[in-house]
Amino acid sequence: MNLDPVAIVLQTLLMLLLAPLLSGCIKNWKARLQNRRGPRPWQVYYDIAKFLRKDMVISEHASWVFAFAPHVVFLTALTAGLMVPMLHTPAPLSLFGGVLAVVGLLALGRFFLALGGLDPASAFGGMGSSREMTISAIAEPALMLAIFAVAITARSTDLSQIAQSTQGATWKLLNPAHVLAFAALFIVLLAETGRIPVDNPATHLELTMIHEAMLLEYSGRYLALMEWGASIKQLVLMTLLVNVFFPVGLAGPQASAGALGLSLLAYLAKLLALSAAVVVVETTNAKLRLFRVPDLLSASFVLATLALLSTFLFH
Amino acid sequence: MNPPAATEIGSQIITLMAALMLVVQLLMIGQRMLLTSIRLFAIQSLLLAAIAAVVAYYHDASHVYVVAVLTIVGKVIFLPWLLNRLVHRIQIHQEIEPLLNAPTSMLICGGLTLLGYVVARPFTSLERLGNNTLAIALTLLLTGFFLMINRRKALTQVLALLTVENGVMLAAVALTTYGMPLVVELGIFFDVLVAVMVLGILVYRIRENFASMDTSKLNQLRG
Amino acid sequence: MLLLTPILIVPVLAGLLCLLVPSRRVMAAMGVLAFSATLGLGIALVYQVLARGVVTEWNGFLSADALSAWMVLLISVVSLASAIYAVGYLRRDLADGAVTERRFREFYVLTPLFGASMFLVVLANNLGVMWAAVEATALSSVLLVALYNRRHSLEAAWKYVILGSLGLALALMGTVFVYAAACKNNPQSLPSFNWSYLMSVADQLDPNLLKLAFVFAFVGYGTKAGLAPMHTWLPDAHSEAPSPTSAMLSGVSLKIALYALLRFHILATACLGTAFSQHLLLSFGLLSMCVATPFILVQTNMKRLFAYHSLEHIGIMCVGFGLAAPLTIFAAVLHIGYHALVKATIFFAAGNIHQKYHSLELPSLAGLLKTMPASSILLALAVIGIAGLPPFGIFLTEFSIVAGGIGAGHLLVSVLFVAALVTVFSGLLSHIAHLLLGTAEKEPGGPGTPRSGVVAMALLIAVLTVFSVWLPVPLLELLRQAAGIIGGRQ
Repeated sequence: MNLDPVAIVLQTLLMLLLAPLLSGCIKNWKARLQNRRGPRPWQVYYDIAKFLRKDMVISEHASWVFAFAPHVVFLTALTAGLMVPMLHTPAPLSLFGGVLAVVGLLALGRFFLALGGLDPASAFGGMGSSREMTISAIAEPALMLAIFAVAITARSTDLSQIAQSTQGATWKLLNPAHVLAFAALFIVLLAETGRIPVDNPATHLELTMIHEAMLLEYSGRYLALMEWGASIKQLVLMTLLVNVFFPVGLAGPQASAGALGLSLLAYLAKLLALSAAVVVVETTNAKLRLFRVPDLLSASFVLATLALLSTFLFH
Repeated sequence: MNPPAATEIGSQIITLMAALMLVVQLLMIGQRMLLTSIRLFAIQSLLLAAIAAVVAYYHDASHVYVVAVLTIVGKVIFLPWLLNRLVHRIQIHQEIEPLLNAPTSMLICGGLTLLGYVVARPFTSLERLGNNTLAIALTLLLTGFFLMINRRKALTQVLALLTVENGVMLAAVALTTYGMPLVVELGIFFDVLVAVMVLGILVYRIRENFASMDTSKLNQLRG
Repeated sequence: MLLLTPILIVPVLAGLLCLLVPSRRVMAAMGVLAFSATLGLGIALVYQVLARGVVTEWNGFLSADALSAWMVLLISVVSLASAIYAVGYLRRDLADGAVTERRFREFYVLTPLFGASMFLVVLANNLGVMWAAVEATALSSVLLVALYNRRHSLEAAWKYVILGSLGLALALMGTVFVYAAACKNNPQSLPSFNWSYLMSVADQLDPNLLKLAFVFAFVGYGTKAGLAPMHTWLPDAHSEAPSPTSAMLSGVSLKIALYALLRFHILATACLGTAFSQHLLLSFGLLSMCVATPFILVQTNMKRLFAYHSLEHIGIMCVGFGLAAPLTIFAAVLHIGYHALVKATIFFAAGNIHQKYHSLELPSLAGLLKTMPASSILLALAVIGIAGLPPFGIFLTEFSIVAGGIGAGHLLVSVLFVAALVTVFSGLLSHIAHLLLGTAEKEPGGPGTPRSGVVAMALLIAVLTVFSVWLPVPLLELLRQAAGIIGGRQ
C-alpha cells in the first residue's frame, strides 16, 4: 500500500487539467489534417464550464442510477489514473492488485456508463449500451492479456514495478512481446476511447454512434462529469501505453523538482506523439461497420495472445 | 548498465523484425482488399530484406547484402508492381467471403503459431542471431498454407504462396551461418520471379475463360 | 572434353532459337535435332561414367554419376520420341484449330526448356540448384499443360502449379535444413552445398535435423513425383496436356522428382543409419498403389486412366527402393526406364486416337483395330508391356521386386503389391480388349494418323523390346552402379 497525499493531490490536479486539453488537441489536429481550422485546443475547458453552469433536464423514467452513474464514471477514472505512474514511480496510490485494479476500475466505470444509458428507457441509449458491451467483451480480454504479457516479463503486476523494470534497459524495448503487446493495446485504446475505426466520436447518427448514444440523455452537470470522466479515462489509457512501454524520463521515487519537471516535459512529449498517431489512424481509416468490429478486435486479441506466448518462448 | 554486446542488439533487432513479419502475416489473414494484401506482402518482404542486411552487417558477410538487395528489388518492388498491374487488368479488387470468417481464422492462426513454436523448440540452439526465428518461419509456412485453403480468389492464393516462400527464406537466414550460397539464392530468386509471372499469366487466362478469379469454380475435373 | 555443359546448353539454345525462327518446319526440326544431340552426348556420357566413376565439370558444380547418366539417357530418349511425335501431332492440331500460331510457337519454345531443366536436375551437384531446376521443370511445363486454353486445361494447370509450388516450398525447407545441418557441422566457414560433399560428411551431420529435412523433402518432392496423398494434381495435368507433353510428364518428369527424392534418401540413410527413409518410401509407395487401383478401374477417360497408372508405377518404384534389397533396387532402377518407354508410347497412341475420334471416352471407342491398325497394334503391345506380361521388361522388374520383398521377409507388402498389380492388370486388359476388338459404333472420318505419330511409337516399342530381352553389358554395368549408389555402396 502506498498513499502519498501530496502526490495524490498533484496527480489528480494534473489529470483534471490535462485530460480535456488532450481531447481538444486531438480534435484540433484531426481538423487540421482534414484541411479545416478546427476548434481551439482549450475549447473543451469552456465546454465543460458551460455544461457545469447549465440546468439539467432529466427523464421522468430515470432512477437513482441515472444520477449515480456520472459520479461513478468520473471517480473510477480518477482513481484508476492515480494508480498509474505519470510523472514518477511509484504511482501515488497503490492498492492491492496493481494493474488488475486499474482494469477493474475502468470496467466498473464502463458498467455504470452502460447502465446510465439504459436507465432513461430511451431507444438510443439502450442501443449504445448493448454495442458498447459487445465491443468491450472482446476488448477487455485483449487488454488483460497484453498487460499480463508485459507483467510476466517484469515479474509483477504492480504498474510502478513494470515501469521501473523496463526503465534501465532501453534496448529491451525491442522485445517482441512488448511490440506485440503495444500493437494489441493500441487497438484496444481505439476501442475503449471510441475512436475511428471503432466508433465515431463526432457523430450523432443512429446507425453509427456508440459512446455518444449512451450520453444522449445527459445534460448539464452530469454531462460535464461524463465528458470529463471519458477524457480522463482516455488520458489514463494513453498514460498506460506510454509509461509502461516507453518509460523514458520517468522520475524515480525521491525525485527533485527538476527531475519532476523534466519528467513532465517527457510525459507531455510522449502523450503528444501518441495522440498524433491516434489522429493519423483516425484520419486515414473509415469507421468499420459494427459487425466488422469484432474482426479488428479479434486481431488485437490474437496479437495479445502472441505477446503472452512470446514471453514464454522467447528466452 | 553495461551496453549490450553488438550481437545482442543485432539479435534483438532480428527477433523484433521477425515478430513484425508475423504481425503482417496475421493482418493479411484478415484482409479483404487485394491491393492492401499486396502492400502487406511488400512490407513483409522489406522486413525480410532488413533481417538479411542485419545478418550481413553483424557477420561481415557481404554476399548476404546481395541477397538483401535482391529481395528488395524482386519482392518489394517488382513483384508487387506486377501483381498490382494484374489486379488492375483484371478489375477485381476485393476478396469474396472466405471459408472461415476473420475471427475464427485469427484464432486458428494463433493455434498454428503455437504449433510452429512447439515444432521448432528442439532446434533453438542452432540459431546464431535472433531467438525463435525458426518458429516464426514455420508459422509463416503454416499460416500461408491456411491462407491458401481459406481463400478462393486466385490472386490471394498466389500471395499465400509467396508468404510461404518468405517463411522458407526466413528459416534459411535463421538457421544457416550466413544464409545459403549465393548461387542458390540467385536460383531461388529467379524461380520465384518466373513463378509469379507464370502464375500471373494463368490468372489472367482463368479470368478470361471463367469471367472470375474464384477458384472454387475450378472443380470440373474430378474422380 | 566437355560433356555435361553441352547437354544443358543444346536444348536451351534450341528453345530460345524457336522464339525467333519463323518457319514451323524449322521449329519442329530443331526439337528433334536438339534431343538427338543430347542422346548422342548421353551415350558418350555413359561410357565416360563407366570409365571414370564420376564425371564432373565446373569445379564440381555439374556432376554425373551412374544414376545421373541413366536418367540423362532416359530423358533424351523420351524427349526425342516426343519431339518426333510432336511433328505430326501439332501440325494436325494447328490445322484443326485446337492451337493457335502463338501457342504452337509456345510449345516449341517451352518443350526444349523443359527438357533442359530436367537435365539440370540430374546433373546438378548442388542441392539448392537441384531444387531450382525442379522448380524450373514445373514452371516450364505449366504453360504446356494450359496450351489448349480450355476451361479444363486451365483448371488442371492451376492445380498443377499451385500444388507443385507448395510442394516445392516444402522441399526448399527440407533443403535449407540439410544445409543448416552442414553449417552446424562446420561452423567456421561456408560449407559446400554439393551432394558429394554432404555424402562425405554424412555421419557427422545432426540426425534430428536430417530427419526433419527428409520429411519436408519427402512431402515436397513427393508432391512433384505424384506420391499419394499429394497426387491430386496428377490425373488432371497429365490428361489435359497435349500428348507429347503428357508423355514427357508421365514418362520422365515424375522420375526426375523421384530422383531428387532419392538423393535425399541416400543422404538420410547414410546419416541416420536406420531404415527411417526406407519405411517412408515403402509405406507411401504402397499407399500410392492402393489409391491408384480403384481409380484405374472406374476411369472412362483414356489419358486420365493412364495418368493414374503412372501413379501406380511410381508407387511400384518407391516400394522397390523402400524394400532396400539389392535385387529390388536394381529392379526399380530398371523399371524407371521401361516404364518411361511404355508410358510415352501409350500417350502417343492416346493422342492419335483423340485426333481421329475427337474423344477419349473409352466406352464410346471400339474396334480400333480396323480403323487405326498401326497405332492399335503398337498400343496393344504397349499395354501388354505395361500390364506386366512377358517378354516385356516390366514383368521382370515387378517379379524381381516381389521376389526381393518375399526374400527380405516383407510378406504383407508383397501380397498387397501383387494384389494391386493383378487388379490393375485385369482392368487394363479388359479395357484394351474392348477398345481394340469391339464393334465400332461410329465411323470416325477424318484423315489418317500422321506418319510421325506411328514412327515415334514404333521406335519406343522397338527399343523396349530389344532391351527387354537383351541388356548390353555397359548398360547393365551402369544400372548396377546406379543401384549401388542408391543402396549405399559407392
